[in-house]
Amino acid sequence: MVKFTAEELRRIMDYKHNIRNMSVIAHVDHGKSTLTDSLVAAAGIIAQEVAGDVRMTDTRQDEAERGITIKSTGISLYYEMSDESLKSYKGERHGNEYLINLIDSPGHVDFSSEVTAALRITDGALVVVDCIEGVCVQTETVLRQALGERIRPVLTVNKMDRCFLELQVDGEEAYQTFQRVIENANVIMATYEDPLLGDVQVYPEKGTVAFSAGLHGWAFTLTNFAKMYASKFGVDEAKMMERLWGENFFDPATKKWTSKNTGTATCKRGFVQFCYEPIKQIIATCMNDRKDKLWPMLQKLGVVMKSDEKDLMGKPLMKRVMQTWLPASTALLEMMIFHLPSPAKAQKYRVENLYEGPQDDVYASAIRNCDPEGPLMLYVSKMIPASDKGRFFAFGRVFSGKVSTGLKVRIMGPNYVPGEKKDLYVKSVQRTVIWMGKKQETVEDVPCGNTVAMVGLDQFITKNATLTNEKEVDAHPIRAMKFSVSPVVRVAVQCKVASDLPKLVEGLKRLAKSDPMVVCTMEESGEHIVAGAGELHLEICLKDLQDDFMGGAEIIKSDPVVSFRETVLERSCRTVMSKSPNKHNRLYMEARPMEDGLAEAIDDGRIGPRDDPKVRSKILSEEFAWDKDLAKKIWCFGPETTGPNMVVDMCKGVQYLNEIKDSVVAGFQWASKEGALAEENMRGICFEVCDVVLHADAIHRGGGQVIPTARRVIYASQLTAKPRLLEPVYLVEIQAPEQALGGIYSVLNQKRGHVFEEMQRPGTPLYNIKAYLPVIESFGFSSTLRAATSGQAFPQCVFDHWEMMSSDPLESGSQAAQLVADIRKRKGLKEQMTPLSDFEDKL
Amino acid sequence: MEFESYYEISRTADFIHTRNFTRVALQFPDELLKDSTRVVRALKDRLRVLDESDTNHSDSKSEVRLFVMADTTYGSCCVDEVGAAHANADCVIHYGHTCLSPTTTLPALFVFGKDSIDVPTCAKTLSQYSLSSGKPVLVLFGLEYAHSMLDIKQRLLDSFQTSSLGSELEVHFADVKCSSLDPSPHHENVVKGGEQASNAESGSSESIAGARHHIGGLFWELPKERRVKDCSLFWIGSENSAFANVVLTFNGCEIVRYDAKESWLVTDVSKQRRILKRRYYLVEKAKDAAIVGILVGTLGLAGYLHIIHQMKELITGAGKKAYTLVMGKPNPAKLANFPECGVFIYVSCAQTALMDSKEYLAPVITPFEATLAFSRGSQWTGAYVMEFQDLIDFSTPEEANRSDEARYSFLQGGYVEDWDSQENTEEENGAHALVTATEKALQLRDNRNSLIEGTARSGAEFFATRSFQGLDINNGSLEPEPYVIGRSGKASGYQDEKNR
Repeated sequence: MVKFTAEELRRIMDYKHNIRNMSVIAHVDHGKSTLTDSLVAAAGIIAQEVAGDVRMTDTRQDEAERGITIKSTGISLYYEMSDESLKSYKGERHGNEYLINLIDSPGHVDFSSEVTAALRITDGALVVVDCIEGVCVQTETVLRQALGERIRPVLTVNKMDRCFLELQVDGEEAYQTFQRVIENANVIMATYEDPLLGDVQVYPEKGTVAFSAGLHGWAFTLTNFAKMYASKFGVDEAKMMERLWGENFFDPATKKWTSKNTGTATCKRGFVQFCYEPIKQIIATCMNDRKDKLWPMLQKLGVVMKSDEKDLMGKPLMKRVMQTWLPASTALLEMMIFHLPSPAKAQKYRVENLYEGPQDDVYASAIRNCDPEGPLMLYVSKMIPASDKGRFFAFGRVFSGKVSTGLKVRIMGPNYVPGEKKDLYVKSVQRTVIWMGKKQETVEDVPCGNTVAMVGLDQFITKNATLTNEKEVDAHPIRAMKFSVSPVVRVAVQCKVASDLPKLVEGLKRLAKSDPMVVCTMEESGEHIVAGAGELHLEICLKDLQDDFMGGAEIIKSDPVVSFRETVLERSCRTVMSKSPNKHNRLYMEARPMEDGLAEAIDDGRIGPRDDPKVRSKILSEEFAWDKDLAKKIWCFGPETTGPNMVVDMCKGVQYLNEIKDSVVAGFQWASKEGALAEENMRGICFEVCDVVLHADAIHRGGGQVIPTARRVIYASQLTAKPRLLEPVYLVEIQAPEQALGGIYSVLNQKRGHVFEEMQRPGTPLYNIKAYLPVIESFGFSSTLRAATSGQAFPQCVFDHWEMMSSDPLESGSQAAQLVADIRKRKGLKEQMTPLSDFEDKL
Repeated sequence: MEFESYYEISRTADFIHTRNFTRVALQFPDELLKDSTRVVRALKDRLRVLDESDTNHSDSKSEVRLFVMADTTYGSCCVDEVGAAHANADCVIHYGHTCLSPTTTLPALFVFGKDSIDVPTCAKTLSQYSLSSGKPVLVLFGLEYAHSMLDIKQRLLDSFQTSSLGSELEVHFADVKCSSLDPSPHHENVVKGGEQASNAESGSSESIAGARHHIGGLFWELPKERRVKDCSLFWIGSENSAFANVVLTFNGCEIVRYDAKESWLVTDVSKQRRILKRRYYLVEKAKDAAIVGILVGTLGLAGYLHIIHQMKELITGAGKKAYTLVMGKPNPAKLANFPECGVFIYVSCAQTALMDSKEYLAPVITPFEATLAFSRGSQWTGAYVMEFQDLIDFSTPEEANRSDEARYSFLQGGYVEDWDSQENTEEENGAHALVTATEKALQLRDNRNSLIEGTARSGAEFFATRSFQGLDINNGSLEPEPYVIGRSGKASGYQDEKNR
C-alpha cells in the first residue's frame, strides 16, 4: 500500500527546490486534521476510502476522543507531478518529484504555542477556513503569527459539502459567502505588508485559493476547471481562470461573456455556471442514486470508476465519485507546489527574522542560500515524546548544512550568550529520523531545507535550541520563538503517596519538555507548580503527567490558582526612611507608579537593562516624558534584573553612594520578587532613592547592613503609595448565533466580565463578541457558557493584560484584602500583612 | 528547697567531688542567668560540706573554683568547650535545655531543670490517646519533664490495670540517654543513629533483642519487628526546636503534642509538616547556587571538623566554590555581608541547625540537605537526618548511577548546566585546555552600561563584576582636603538633626 520508501524520500531531500515545508493552520474545528488526511492518503499511507475519518495526524488517544488536535504532528509526503501539470510552473525545479513536509497544528487557542513552533520550521501555510463560519478569532491570530514569521499563506475554503448537503444554498449566495471569506482573510494579510515577502493576499483567479470538502476528500482550485474548459472554449487557461471568478457572467443562451449580469434567466456568474453548478448536479445525482444519469455525466468528465465502486449507494457513492473527479490531494498539493516557496526561496528573506547574529557572517549567508555545504544551522522547535517512555525526539528544521547520525553538535540553549559558556553543550546525535505519519524512519543524514527528528539530545534541551557544528564557536543562535499566549493558570501538584516524589519530579521534567508552553516550577512553600495557558491546556498536561510521564502514579492537584502582581496607585504619601540593623545608616525612598505603557514596554523588551543608556533615555524622555538626566540614573530593573520595576537614584551629592548601589540593587531584586502585600511579584513600580545617610566607616555600611534595609525601605515605600493588586485578564472571543447572546451576557456578567465589542458577521446569523474576563473567574467558564447557551457558544481565551483591582488591600474586609489573606494562607505565610511600622523607622 | 532540687545542687556537687574536678565551668542559658549567683553560692556551700565530710584527703586538695559562663558563642543547648577552655576548666556543668550532643574535650554534666507538669492529666490524656490511636504509641518528651516521666509511666500502668483493654495496648517510653557525657574524640565512638540494631552492645544476656533508636538525648528500644514508622508519637513538652527535630526526623509518623503548660493535647502539627516542604524547596534552591558558604556553628561538637571537610569535598565535587566562615549565632545582617554566597550550610548541633526565615537573603541549610543537593543522583525521599554525626558515614551512591544528563532546575523551569560536567569534557585534551583557559581569561566583559550582573562563580569574580570597585585614591588633586568638623551625637539622632 505504501507507495514510497524512506530511500526515495531521502533522495528528494537533496533537491532543495523540490521541497515544500508547510503547516496547516486554522481556527478550531475548521477541519485541518481531516483535510490533512486526504493529503496523506495521496501519498499512499492510508487508504483513499477512509480518508476523512482517520485523522492520521491525531496520534494521541485523547485527541481522537475529543476530536481536537492537541499536539502538532509532522508528516513527510512524497508526490510526483506529471510533466503536463508542471509545464506552467516557472520556478526552479529538479525533476517532477516533490517532497512535502507538512505539519498539522491544533486550532484551540490553549495550544497555540504548538502553532508557533510549527510555523518556525515551515515556509508556507495552508490556511483552512470554514466556508460558513468564515474567518474566526484563531484564524486571525495564527495568520498574524504566520505573517510575522514571514510565512507565505494559501487559503482553502473548507467544508464545501455543507453548502451542498446541509444548507443547499444556491450558487450566487454561495459565491457571495466565499468571496466574503476570502476578503476577510485578505484584510488581515494586507495589514502585514512586507516588501520582502511581496503580496501575500490570496486570489482564487491566481490559484492561491482552493475550495475543499475535507470530510469527503475532494477539493478544487480554479485551475482544475480552467483546464477543463480552456480547450472547450478555445481560450488559454489563464484567461479562463480570470473568467471563473469575480464579475464575469456567462449566458449559455447567447454564449457570451459579460462583466455585468444581463438579467436574463440563463445568465449566471462564471464561477456558478462552470464550477458550482456542475458539482451540485453531480452530488445531487449521486445522493438520489440516479445512476442511469450519473454514468454518462461521469464519462463526459473523463472520470472512470472501478467496477466494485459502481455498486455503492448514496453518500459513499457521492464521496467516491467526488474523490475520483476532484481529488483533494491533487488540487491542494498543486496549489502548494505552485504557490508556496521552496526552502531555497524562503530562506532568502526569512534569514533576517531567524538569525540573531550579524547578517553578513558565514552563518547568515549559509542560511540565506540554503547551503548544504555550509555550516550546520538547525533550530529545534519542539520535543516529541518517543515511544520508549521518558525519551524525546528533538524535532526541528535544518536551515543550512547537514545533520547526520553520530555528528557532534553544539547545542545553544535559549539562555546562551555568544562568547560565554552558559547554556551550551556539545553532544553527538545518536540517530536522525524522518517522520512518516505514525512511524519513523531512520536515515543517514538530513540536508538543509528539511524537517528532522533527532535522538540523543533530549537530556540537554528543555524546549528549543539552536544546533551547529562542534567547532563553529562563533555562531549566534537562531532567534527564540515568541509565543502569543502566556502561562497564567497554575495548579499545585503533589503525589498521593509520599514516596512517589521522585517519580513526580521526573514526570514534571518530562512534561516541561513535551510542551513549549507549560512551565514546571516550585513555590517557596515547596509545592510543585504546573503553569499553562488555560484550563484545557492544564487538563491535558496533568493527564499526560499522570499517565505518560509518571507511569500512572496518582497525583493530587490543587484548584487552579492565578498569580497576581503588586503595584501602587500613587506616589508615596511621604518619604519613608529605614535604618540599618546597626542604626548607623538610613535610606530614604519613595515609590510611584510607572507611566502608562512603560511596564509593557519593559515586558516587550523595548526598554531593558541591556540597552544603551542613550537609547533608553531617548525612549523614556520622548515617549514617557522622563527627564533626560533622570533616565540615565536608573540603577536597575527587577525582579530577575529584567522585570517591570526599577530603582532610580534621585540623591544629590551623597558620599559613598556608589558603594551601596550593589547592596540596594540586591535588596531590590529580592523585594520586587516578593512584594509586601502577598509576596507576589511587583509590577510597574518605580522606586526613587531620595536620600541616604551612611556611616563614615566602610565596615558599618556593608551589604549586611544595607541589603536588609533596602528591602525594608522598599516595602515601606510600597505600603505608603496606596498599594494595589493587579489581576490577569483574558480577552475572550465568542462566536454564537443571536439567540445565544442573552445567555452569554448573563454568564459574563456573573463572572465579572465585560463586553467591549459585539459585531454581526456580515452574511451570517453569527455574532462575534469580544470581552474582558478576569482569569480567576475563567475556571469553568466554558462549561457554564455551554450550559447557558445550550452548546452554541464556544469561547477562546487569551491572556491580554494586567488589570488593577480597585479595592484597597490595606482596608480590612475589602475584596482585595480577602484575596491577599487567601494568597498568604496558601503560601503558608502569616495571615496578617506585616504592618508598615515594621518596615519604616522614625528618627 | 525548691531551688536546690530544680538545679540539682547535691547531685552536681557529688559529681564534682567524686571526680575531683578543681576548675568547673557552669554554663547558663540566657533565661536562667539570673539564678547563676545563687547556684554558685549553693554549690560552694554544698562542696564545702562534702569536703569536710571526708577530711582525710582534703589537705592535699585545693578549693574547687567555679566559673559562670553566659552568652555562649553558638547555640546555648551545646556545651561551650571553647568558652570553658578560656577559664581552663576541666569540666562543664550545663544548665537548662540541651541537645546532649557529644563533646570533644571536656566531660560535662547536664542539669535539665524540672518544669512542673500535671501528672494525672497528662497520664489520662496519654491513656485516652493510646486507646483511640489503634497503633503502638511511643512517648517522647522534652528533657525538662524527664523528672516526672516515672510518675506518668506508673500512673499509666495503673490505669491500664484497672481497665480491661490495657493489656493489648502497646506504649513505649523513651529514656534519657545520660545526664553526663565524657569526651569522645573519635567520631567512631559516637552511637550511630537511625534505625540500627545494636545487637553487639546489648548482648545475649539483655532481655529483649530489640532495636535501639535515639534522638536528641532520648533513646528507646522497640521490639524487632516494630519500626518507628508504625508508631504514633506522643510528645510531652513545648513546641521548641527539639520537637521540630522529632517531627522532621519522623515525618512519616502521626504525631501529637501534649502541651504541659496548658495541659492539653495539640493534634494539629501541620505547621511542622510545612517546614519539611519548605526544606525541600531550600534544597532545590541550593542546587542552583554557585558559591556555597559553610558556616561553622560549633567548635565543640564531636566530628565537626570531619563534617566540614566532607562538605568541602562535596561542594568542590559538584563544581561549586566553597568558603568557610566561622560565625557565632548567624543572623540576616551577618550573612548578608556575603551576598556572593548562594546558599549557606550551617554545621551545628541538630537543634540549632534549622534556621529558616524569610529575612535571609540566601537559604541556610543543614549538612544533610547539602548532601542531597550537591550529590548528583541523590533524591529527596522524605527520609531526614538532623544530626550531622549520622551523616559522616552516609555514603551516597552517586558515582554509580551518575548520568550525564543536564540538571533540571525547578526554580528556573529548565535545564541548567552544572559546571563540573563541562569542566570534565574540557580537560580531555591538554592542548585544548590551555586555549579554553586563555579564552576564559580574555572573555569579553559585558559593556559597562549594562545593568545586569552575571552569576559569579567565585568570590573574586563577584567582586570583579561589582559596580563599586573601591575608592579612587588619586582622583585628580593632590591637595590635602580641608579640615571639616564632623557631626556629633548618637546614631539614633545626631545633634544637627534634633530639630528635624
